[in-house]
Amino acid sequence: MAIPGAATAGGAITGPPPPRYWVRHRVALTGWGLLAPALIVLLIMSVVPTIYLVMFAFQHVDLLGPGTKFVGIQNFERVLGDPEMWSDAGATALYVALAVSIQLVFGMALALMLNRKMRETNLLTALFILPLGVAPVVSALIFRELLNPVYGWVDFYLQSWGLMGDPVDWLANPLTAWISIITLDVWQWTPFVALILLAGLQGVPQEPREAAVVDGAGPLSLFWHVTLPLMRPFIAIALVLRAIEAFKTFAGVYVLTGGGPGTSTTLLTLDMYRIALQDFDVGAASALGICFLFALSFVMSRLLAVLAKSTDILED
Amino acid sequence: MTTSNLAHTNRRSVLKSGVAAVGGLLTASTVLGRPYLARAQAAKPSQLTMLYATVEADSDAVKTLLPQFKSLHGIDIAMDTMPYNALQQKVFAELASKSAYYDIVIVDAPWMSAVIDNIHPITDMILDSNLTDAAEFDLTDFIPKVFYDTAVFKPSASTVHWSQSGDVDAKAIKQGGFEIYGLPIQANALTMSYRKDLFEDADNKSAFQAKYGKPLAVPETWDDFVQVASFFTRPRKRLWGTTLMAGAGDWATDDFKTMLASFGGDGYMINDKFEPVFAGPEGVAALTFYVDLINKYKVTPPGTTSASWDTAATEFETGLVAMSMNYHTETLNASVHGTMDYAMVPKKVQYGPHFGAMMLSVNAFSKNKEWAYRTIQFLTGKASQAAMLPLQLHPTRRSAYEVAAKDPSYAQKFGNFYPVLGKSLENGVGRPRLKNYSDVDRSIWVAVNDAARRATTPEAALAKAAAQVKTQLAQAGYTPG
Repeated sequence: MAIPGAATAGGAITGPPPPRYWVRHRVALTGWGLLAPALIVLLIMSVVPTIYLVMFAFQHVDLLGPGTKFVGIQNFERVLGDPEMWSDAGATALYVALAVSIQLVFGMALALMLNRKMRETNLLTALFILPLGVAPVVSALIFRELLNPVYGWVDFYLQSWGLMGDPVDWLANPLTAWISIITLDVWQWTPFVALILLAGLQGVPQEPREAAVVDGAGPLSLFWHVTLPLMRPFIAIALVLRAIEAFKTFAGVYVLTGGGPGTSTTLLTLDMYRIALQDFDVGAASALGICFLFALSFVMSRLLAVLAKSTDILED
Repeated sequence: MTTSNLAHTNRRSVLKSGVAAVGGLLTASTVLGRPYLARAQAAKPSQLTMLYATVEADSDAVKTLLPQFKSLHGIDIAMDTMPYNALQQKVFAELASKSAYYDIVIVDAPWMSAVIDNIHPITDMILDSNLTDAAEFDLTDFIPKVFYDTAVFKPSASTVHWSQSGDVDAKAIKQGGFEIYGLPIQANALTMSYRKDLFEDADNKSAFQAKYGKPLAVPETWDDFVQVASFFTRPRKRLWGTTLMAGAGDWATDDFKTMLASFGGDGYMINDKFEPVFAGPEGVAALTFYVDLINKYKVTPPGTTSASWDTAATEFETGLVAMSMNYHTETLNASVHGTMDYAMVPKKVQYGPHFGAMMLSVNAFSKNKEWAYRTIQFLTGKASQAAMLPLQLHPTRRSAYEVAAKDPSYAQKFGNFYPVLGKSLENGVGRPRLKNYSDVDRSIWVAVNDAARRATTPEAALAKAAAQVKTQLAQAGYTPG
């Protein structure tokens, strides 16, 4: 059967053209058809769980018994009324700020080094990205052994080199425990930041740099006034991606310190794990998850807004 | 299916499968003594699935019995094992999803308050002579304290403990309104391992005698323990007196509750009226002593305030300490060139080592409950427990300890391990029965850790923890009194 309006082999039109609304519908249907797989996946993986999360947040959920009931905002009162939760939220924010800042500085230094066209660059790049391939749990276990004050390498070498007298129990003091968890995250994720920044450096146009050199700019001035401004979009991408991931940090801290000493390195993710998967209080854990989601969305939107002011790529 | 229907079906099916059963039994191994007779054959499955722990419940020992179960009953037991850290989530997830996949699940005592509605009570099966040969199974052989603490719960009030202490009697349990929810298979108790070679060394003996005016001996009291631990503490030779597990984690609570009980306090920490009872004078004295071992007497290796049971095990096995307290099966590396043995954890006014047993239970959603029960009956039977001794199972039956005591090969291989474990279990103190035990546990270990690293005083740490625990108990719906 010939389709109305379709051209024949000879180029002649066999009938009247299809109504415009039909064409529009066909285009729309095709669009929805193409979108459907992604939408279904999104619906199953994100929307439905989010609806459940919201439902659970207003219920006392008894997964193992018959006691599930609606409790209004009781779960939110419990979570937001717990001073330790606020303290852990502060610790999480501090953790993200410290870890990501240090990673950006070290990542930039690493990227500048790798950007120099040397024979060893490829080998060094491959070596530097190795930590990315190690699972966070494994990294934390290795760090735990390295930091053991009796048989760990860190204390052993620091003592051997005369840099330390008595052994330091790194994980028993809040300050050194914080240094340990930040170091672990920096070791693991700096290569990721470096790779993004290296891609940026390799895309920086040479003309402004050459012009600045002609004008007598030194290496530091060249970096500060020319390279860094041109790198802002890439710094923004690295910052946002790393911040989101750092907020979700769990395995490394859980294995390395367990939230201790005391509760000094307890992050919100550890609280969520404890409430949801040890106490099985799914209602309270959902309430905490929603609060965390809102806080994270707010922080990220503010961060993006600030960065967008000085970053073309984000505005586009 | 009601119990009477079940029994009727069983008798009928026995006749049908009699020939096959006799044939199977004739060819079955009798290594385990009298094999369990399959007198009832309710919808016999070809395979049962079991969720078990790894080293924490000696899975290697249990695996050795599975071929014998198959030769007796023709049923494969597919055993999945999980490390303890992930086991609770797995068990809870399986039961919460009402999954029938696992017929048998391993359950640790503190979880029972939460999962009680999802575990099938087996009291009626134990009392059913078609399923249980009372003489052969001999419930009275289980260590009463271990059995009551692990397996006996009141369905309407899962936090209440069975108050009697005599031999296990299923009828009395049923009449008292309680139920049996499983059969204990592995009982872990805090025991003390020590370097036998160091204690027997002539130079050490004479030096100790000269210093303290008494012979060097394995300490039985905490006062002796301080002297012995101080004597062996020689940091320049990389040797310390003892390990402690004061790091942030459940282990710190277990250390503390052992001390608390030995100082005369209630090692359960929360009584049946839902009142925290760990912050009184005994608790403060116990925690103060614990903190002093680390900071005043300095008899522990550096890193004790961040140590877990894994750290403690490593420190002992690498020869860094003369004594250690743990639940692990302790070993010494060959490079240490030493020998080791076991003793009870010392006491102040009484013994009170922390203990926790794991039981095998029937999943309430299993489609093969009767055969699941037969399996756990087999695995926790007298013969099976004795058969697992060579792999150092921590038995829950008194007869297994008697077997170990009579056979010199066990003493040769494991030293005092079995006598010490048996005695520790008889004197041990379990955990409180709470749905939110992990919350309570955390508040207590934070207090212990804070005090141990001198961030606060023992009194203040325990008072803060007690206040937190009161709130947590109220939030979980537990009303004091």
